[in-house]
Amino acid sequence: MKRLLVAFLLVAAPAFAADQTAATAALAAADQAEAQAGQLGNRWVPAEAALKAARAAAAKQDWDTALIEATRAKAYAERAVEQAKEQKMVWQEAVIK
Amino acid sequence: MNIRPLIPVALAACLLGGAAPAPADGLAVAAADQKAFQAFFKDRFPTLPLAEFGNGPYAVNAEMRKQWEDIMQFPPYDFALDEGKTAFETKFANGKSYADCFENGGIGVRQNFPYFDTKTGEVITLDLAINRCREANGEKPLKYQTGLIASIDAYMAETSRDKPFNIKIPDDPRAVAAYEAGKEFFYTRRGQLNFACASCHVTSSGDRMRGDILAPALGILAAFPIYRSDWGSMGTIDRRFTSCSSQMRSEPLPPEDPAYRNVEYFLSYMSNGVPITGPGTRP
Repeated sequence: MKRLLVAFLLVAAPAFAADQTAATAALAAADQAEAQAGQLGNRWVPAEAALKAARAAAAKQDWDTALIEATRAKAYAERAVEQAKEQKMVWQEAVIK
Repeated sequence: MNIRPLIPVALAACLLGGAAPAPADGLAVAAADQKAFQAFFKDRFPTLPLAEFGNGPYAVNAEMRKQWEDIMQFPPYDFALDEGKTAFETKFANGKSYADCFENGGIGVRQNFPYFDTKTGEVITLDLAINRCREANGEKPLKYQTGLIASIDAYMAETSRDKPFNIKIPDDPRAVAAYEAGKEFFYTRRGQLNFACASCHVTSSGDRMRGDILAPALGILAAFPIYRSDWGSMGTIDRRFTSCSSQMRSEPLPPEDPAYRNVEYFLSYMSNGVPITGPGTRP
């Protein structure tokens, strides 16, 4: 029985570690993208909400949720960055002339 | 004389000149912007006199105006007005009062705010001036956006009713830059819904957005502070910017952030000539 438990832990541990590693990496990437959106003065509400949810899940070691929310936050933040960069080029077209 | 080494310097000077126009050019651009802005709204609402734009949605929708006239039998901002008057007239611990901080004792000056302070190089809104007055006299600053600051703001606006906006851009590159930053903010789309301030208050002004009538940007700040039924309380310009940002799914900036002050400067300058109607009420 002891040997079986040790064997299970040896097999399962990398899987847990991989989840945590992936979630932590996703969180770091989302943080970076959101910081960039902030520098451009264009943070989105759903990006902040997803990031908050990801951090809360990570604190509870719920790595699956943390990974999902961090991925979502990163996608929103990247869109915000894209929007800000695009608007920098085109906002003057909207000015009343 | 070999002028080759001077060419890059001359090119750089030209490029820099292009990127940062001289203040006089910036002032001419701002004046042309204002003329075009006011002409746009006069064209969109041809029967509306300039003075009416300070009434926002009530100026452009007959049904809403009727409701508003009924509401104004007992204006919901009256309590705030009384509170603001009392606070304004109450002396600070050092014996001074708000009147000591403002031109003309703070009476009838709302139309001159915001202004560009050439000493500090920043836009000063009325709310910021109220809090700086408190701090200069050893008092704690008030919480922005609602509460007592909105009440004092309401009293000061009420003493300025019918005085037309009279916003000046001094011949100072920093003032022109603040104006330009406010203009960029107003026309830039942001947030998940991809809206600019202009999306609602220029191209869709007077139209419905669900249950609301979108107010024209011209004169849009004249009625502030406002009692908004949606809030169930008074709110300053800052509060409205914050809630607009949230509605567009864009993270709001902190109260009195320079970006908000700059957009207030731009919008108020665009509205020169529109009389102050504040305090006001909105749905």
